Amino acid sequence: MDKNKTNQIITFSDVSIGYGRKIVLSNLNLSIENNDFIGLVGPNGAGKTTFLRTLLGNIKPLSGTIEKNNLVFGYVPQRDVVQPLLPYTVHDVVMMGRYSLLGLFKTPGKSDEQIVMKSLRRVGIENLKTMNYNSLSGGQRQRVLIARALAVQPDVLILDEPTNGLDTPSHYSVLNLVAELHDESHLAVLIVSHLLSDVANLVKKIILFEAGNFQFGLTEEILSEANLAKTYSANIEVKKLGGEFLITSKHRS
Amino acid sequence: METINLLIELFPYAIFGSIVAGIICSFLGVFVVSQRVVFLGAALTQAAIAGVAFSFLHLLNLEQILANLFGIQSIDDSFLHHFEHTFFSLLFALIAVLIFSQSYRQKFLTTDGLLGIIFVVAIAIRIIFIQKSPIAEVAEIESILKGDILFIGSQEFYTLFVILVIIGLIFSLFSKQLKFVTFDADTASAHGINARFWLLVFYFTVGIGISLTTRFVGDVFTFAFLILPASIAILLAKRILNVFLYSVIIGGLVPPVAIYIAFQLDISSGPTAVVVVFIIFLIVYAIKKLSK
Repeated sequence: MDKNKTNQIITFSDVSIGYGRKIVLSNLNLSIENNDFIGLVGPNGAGKTTFLRTLLGNIKPLSGTIEKNNLVFGYVPQRDVVQPLLPYTVHDVVMMGRYSLLGLFKTPGKSDEQIVMKSLRRVGIENLKTMNYNSLSGGQRQRVLIARALAVQPDVLILDEPTNGLDTPSHYSVLNLVAELHDESHLAVLIVSHLLSDVANLVKKIILFEAGNFQFGLTEEILSEANLAKTYSANIEVKKLGGEFLITSKHRS
Repeated sequence: METINLLIELFPYAIFGSIVAGIICSFLGVFVVSQRVVFLGAALTQAAIAGVAFSFLHLLNLEQILANLFGIQSIDDSFLHHFEHTFFSLLFALIAVLIFSQSYRQKFLTTDGLLGIIFVVAIAIRIIFIQKSPIAEVAEIESILKGDILFIGSQEFYTLFVILVIIGLIFSLFSKQLKFVTFDADTASAHGINARFWLLVFYFTVGIGISLTTRFVGDVFTFAFLILPASIAILLAKRILNVFLYSVIIGGLVPPVAIYIAFQLDISSGPTAVVVVFIIFLIVYAIKKLSK
């Protein structure tokens, strides 16, 4: 058997995605492997969210097939989506990660409790477990949502704009945490971000979405100036400084 | 003490029924307020009222159909006499819930917009239904639509009690699913929970609770008790369980107190209950604001 094929955990074959009759992307043919670290980038409305929702099974593909072999997904939504008025504790929120794995009537048991504590420890917020989610800073909330995704014990971790609205220290702390989770747990990670430099320095592969089209490949290949200029309809400069990508828009001199 | 004894003697079902109605609304209200769909309460109360008004058109003689089915003399059976009003109030509220549920993950209408449409259409059709009802029944319709805590009889009390038990069971048995989808439906769905289905279960349960309390105690009481006890509890509580506890205690205690005050001052008990709970809200809000 082809070695690459055995590593494939998700395969899109001739998939079209969209809503109702509106096709957002068509002819999606790509494979995600079990230790992949993939960035999803592209302008607003290019299909990143539609792609994620289709992958998660929230919307059905308009055509084609997606093989995902009963994978468990841990999903970290955009932090602004979760704005509870009720005083849920950090522990309450992370425990929600266990709910989908319990039966219809079963309540969380000792093993669920252990997994929740392990997830809290893993993201470094065990000390916050009795705090109200509402009272936390943006970076702490992001860690809670990551812990909840880890409590699912996922095969694939999906993060939607995890650094949006965070201050600089929290921003890099969350990115480092995601990188650690990938490196240490060998989790397949998909991360959506509009910050090209962040994604470029974090991931190994990129899916670059542009209106009605996409490109998938290694970061160096995809994030070329020509590609980005075409996708974003702007002059974008891609530099490498000390081995790190620096992607900025070209300003007039 | 004498007045309290007299009230218990005269209106036992009204007192206990109002407690149950208050508990139902204040419990559901915690979810309605925290989900930021307060206007759903207003829309559902109006839909329920439109259903009651519809029942007076007598287009479908459900009483007779049921009487024939069970071999009961409908004229003698007061349960059947009131069944049609209750049935249509429930039906209209559930149709409104079904329409509202279409707002889930669609881009063409906002939740507020859809609720506004349900609200005004329900009011409009209620007016049309009343205009087309037999003139002799208009006074009865108006009295039912207004609702009055003191008119809660044994049947209304037992119906409300059964609804409270059903709501309690649904929220106990499926607390995981309902908690997750009302907290973060997108992630619940991504983790394999059928968020659309469970949100529908949640809204149907809210619809049942609101339509029946509206039918028995009126729209003003129902809407006020959906919002105010829950809002007070959210201001006061630091733990999720306490939010429910405070809300239910306020929702259950205020109506009998309001009946007592209304009796002493010779005013309507429903609006009195609303004013009392609003005063509690003002006090709690002021204390909270000043203590910051």
